[in-house]
Amino acid sequence: MEKKILSTEEKKVLRSMFFRSHLVFLSFNMVKMEANGFTATMAPAIESIYKDDMEGKKEAYLRHQNFFNTHAVPFSFIAGLAYAMEKEHKEKNSIDGQTIDSIKAALMGPTAGMFDSLFFNCLRIIAAGIGIGLCSQGNILGTIIFILMYGVSQSVFKYFFVNWGYTYGTTFIDSVFSSGLMGALTKSASVLGLMMVGAMTAQMVNVPLNWTLNVGQTSVVVADVINSIFPGLLGVLLLFLLVSLIKKGARPTQLIIGIFVFALLGGFIGIF
Amino acid sequence: MVTAAFQISLAYYIVAVLDPYIVSWQCLNRPIVVAPIAGLILGDFTTGIIMGAALESIFMGISAIGGSIPADATTSSIIAVAFTILTGANIEAGLALALPIGTVMASLVGLLTPLFAGVAAYWEKLALECKPKKFLIQNLLFSCLTAPLINAVILFAAVAYGVEGLSAFLASLPAWVMVGLGAASGMMLAVGFAILTSMIWNKEVGCFFFLGYVFVKYLGLNTLAIAIIGIVIAITMFFTEKRIIDLKNSLTNKTVSNNEEDFF
Repeated sequence: MEKKILSTEEKKVLRSMFFRSHLVFLSFNMVKMEANGFTATMAPAIESIYKDDMEGKKEAYLRHQNFFNTHAVPFSFIAGLAYAMEKEHKEKNSIDGQTIDSIKAALMGPTAGMFDSLFFNCLRIIAAGIGIGLCSQGNILGTIIFILMYGVSQSVFKYFFVNWGYTYGTTFIDSVFSSGLMGALTKSASVLGLMMVGAMTAQMVNVPLNWTLNVGQTSVVVADVINSIFPGLLGVLLLFLLVSLIKKGARPTQLIIGIFVFALLGGFIGIF
Repeated sequence: MVTAAFQISLAYYIVAVLDPYIVSWQCLNRPIVVAPIAGLILGDFTTGIIMGAALESIFMGISAIGGSIPADATTSSIIAVAFTILTGANIEAGLALALPIGTVMASLVGLLTPLFAGVAAYWEKLALECKPKKFLIQNLLFSCLTAPLINAVILFAAVAYGVEGLSAFLASLPAWVMVGLGAASGMMLAVGFAILTSMIWNKEVGCFFFLGYVFVKYLGLNTLAIAIIGIVIAITMFFTEKRIIDLKNSLTNKTVSNNEEDFF
């Protein structure tokens, strides 16, 4: 991988882009999603590249107003990459505007999938798991650890990503995608995420069955019988019932209402 | 009650503008952060922290499926904490109310979504003016003055005038309702975890769910220990996969070159 040596102006632009790449959800809407955030992030780059070329500037602004949507962390990588591509477009004209568009579009899906599984489904779950453990004992350190692990860490990654996007450019993308390592990374992150979800289901999901069967002289506490087969069996069954309903297209709101009604009914007939 | 409601809405507004609009972490607006803040403002920090832990687990998996968020974690967490602290209700009742309140709040904000989409054409025109400062400032103002402000106003009304009514209403209900609500709060957690599981699940890695489960139920390990074991497994797995990929690549390269030799 070839690495460029950055000039003072490039460093300045990249620093400004790093700060602006935190505006991902600026005026977020369902039509163009993160387009406004991307335009705002690209503004320092566009101003520095096109300077007095009003036509080029207009084209570039319009280009980055296109629909854009990915995870907030690779957002800064793609912005850095777009800076590199815009610069080539202006200086050497080796990349045309449409290529910039299509590379951006091509990167949205894979980066979103990869970073959702790394950050949203993995790091966030671990951070929340540790935070919840401390907070449930009334320790505010849990909240602070959560913010550091899940929040501040994103900014650290963003800082490196915007620079890598610019310096390594497309060579980096080629090597990551063609090597097939993305799949391996996503898979290992999924393993970690699922283990944490399993652990937290065990810790927290609770079906508080309080039902005693009276058969003649003896009475049987149903929950004890079930838990002696497999601890928390009802919780696991409930979870996988909900998973299968979600896979069939049930909406979360329907599930929430369903559980509410079921719990109230259970309370009424006295099994809870 | 009105002063407390004002303070709490102001704190909400600051958080809601900061995250997601200014830092885009989607972290500061989580229940585990806002519930302790609400507790601190209302004078019962510890309850806020403890409820923050429970609310975070309720809302952990509640995320957008198909574009709309089923329940607003931030506002409903604040209302749940305010309800518990201001009326002296037990924590379980507050927790059980959080998700239904969140669903209502999310559908209120959902009404605004068409409005946000309608402005999209204006942003494009503004961007074409090539005035990056103006673009940034107008976008920031728009973001700060729409959803966060409207939510803050609703939150103020809910805490100032809704909490006591809700408490009186719950007190007038028969005992089995509270039992049912308590049971619901334990089972509601399953919804979030089910969403998460269905997002991550595939046949190859699904079994690891049960590994985590058994670590807790049979071995009684805490979250940090499980996270470390999980990281070890994930790293081992990554390098194994990497080796397989490398091997596959070198094999295909060989066959390709063989074919070429045959061809010529």
